[in-house]
Amino acid sequence: MPKAHSLCLAMMFVMISSLITITWADETGASGAANGEASSAPSVSVQDWTQLDDNEQELTVWDPIEPVNRGVFWFNDKLYFYLLKPVARGYRAVIPEAARESVGNFFYNLAAPVRILNSLLQLKGREATDEVLKCIFNSTFGIAGLFDLGVGLPADRDGEDFGQTLGHYGTPPGFYLVIPILGPSNARDAVGKVGDSLTNPVTSPYYFKLKTIEIIGAQALDKINLISLDKDTYESIKKDSLDPYLFVRNAFMQNRAAKVDK
Amino acid sequence: MRYMKIVIIAFLGLLICGLTAYSAVAPKTQIQETVDRVIDVLRDKQLQGEARRQTLSRLIRARFDFSIMSQRTLGKYWRTASSAEQEKFVRLFSDLLEASYIGRIEAYSGETVNYGEEKIEGDRAEVATTVNSGNTHIPIVYRMVQRGEEWYVYDVIIEEVSLIRNYRSSYGEIVRKEGFSGLFRRMEEKINELQQSS
Repeated sequence: MPKAHSLCLAMMFVMISSLITITWADETGASGAANGEASSAPSVSVQDWTQLDDNEQELTVWDPIEPVNRGVFWFNDKLYFYLLKPVARGYRAVIPEAARESVGNFFYNLAAPVRILNSLLQLKGREATDEVLKCIFNSTFGIAGLFDLGVGLPADRDGEDFGQTLGHYGTPPGFYLVIPILGPSNARDAVGKVGDSLTNPVTSPYYFKLKTIEIIGAQALDKINLISLDKDTYESIKKDSLDPYLFVRNAFMQNRAAKVDK
Repeated sequence: MRYMKIVIIAFLGLLICGLTAYSAVAPKTQIQETVDRVIDVLRDKQLQGEARRQTLSRLIRARFDFSIMSQRTLGKYWRTASSAEQEKFVRLFSDLLEASYIGRIEAYSGETVNYGEEKIEGDRAEVATTVNSGNTHIPIVYRMVQRGEEWYVYDVIIEEVSLIRNYRSSYGEIVRKEGFSGLFRRMEEKINELQQSS
């Protein structure tokens, strides 16, 4: 094609690509200003770092029975170190990790009805379907849930429970509560736990109809098994925090709030 | 035809320059660098004891902004503190965070880290990572702020729990009940404990 024509095209291309480059590079600066912070380069010097980010709220926990809670927390702490952990240690020494993971998967799979029901109650159809699929797949190919095959589904194991369902429909968490043996909870979630015990096949009077001693045995096994797989989470909290009670309380409430929001 | 080719190459070249300029200062790359280097140090059998701790300390302080974390932790109590108290808090808090962090990672036993998405808005960013240990996957998000060419971490969010928000609440309670002297005493005790046990 004629030289003049192609030179014009070249210039056009150069101009257009420069414009694109400049707009891209500018986007970061522009949205920074839109955030309402000082938009000049060393914005940290003007930034008030004593405030939390705009999307964060102050963490205030209502703890009217704190002395009681601290007492139960102390009790759970002793129970853990003097009973649960030694038993878990012994258990860990005897049973290989793969088998313990399988036991964990088994109990996790067994609790699927709780997650499914509460996903449905919260009208989260997609989640409910995922849980059903996981349950079916793990129960069949995963041999009664011993193997958690995942099948490309989200690795998020937490799932819904009745406390989250109550929260989803607006129930505030209420006061902080430490339950003997079971650990941190709150008024709403404690009620949730009661609800869950009706839907969890192990504890429910509607499924296997186990005797009380069998229910306690199964739950104890599940708990000891989980502790044997845990990598000293509680120990590291105790080691690092100035006040483990406060740390656990705040971490728990933050975690629950985040789960309800999800 | 030759001119067309040159034009296209020039166009592409400028596009690429534009893209590189945009992602030159990537928070994800920087945090990945730091974490990878920390893991290297942990894996290095040659490096032990004091030298190891110094190296880790240097790496951590280069990427984590303890001064910002201190202000966010004390919140409204920062303003009520004298500048001597502020300085003391920053010093103690830095030592405490460093000792805690190093204490935790000393328990390193082959965990791997995956780096997920980074969200950038102005001079703030969030980088999602996952620490994999056997069957468990722990999501850890780093909140970072940009100063010049470097991005610094000002909060770490583990399983949806923001560490600084947690400290803010706990330390706030302690200051409220025991004042700064109580807080400092507890921090000093804890630092001694941590440094002696490692």
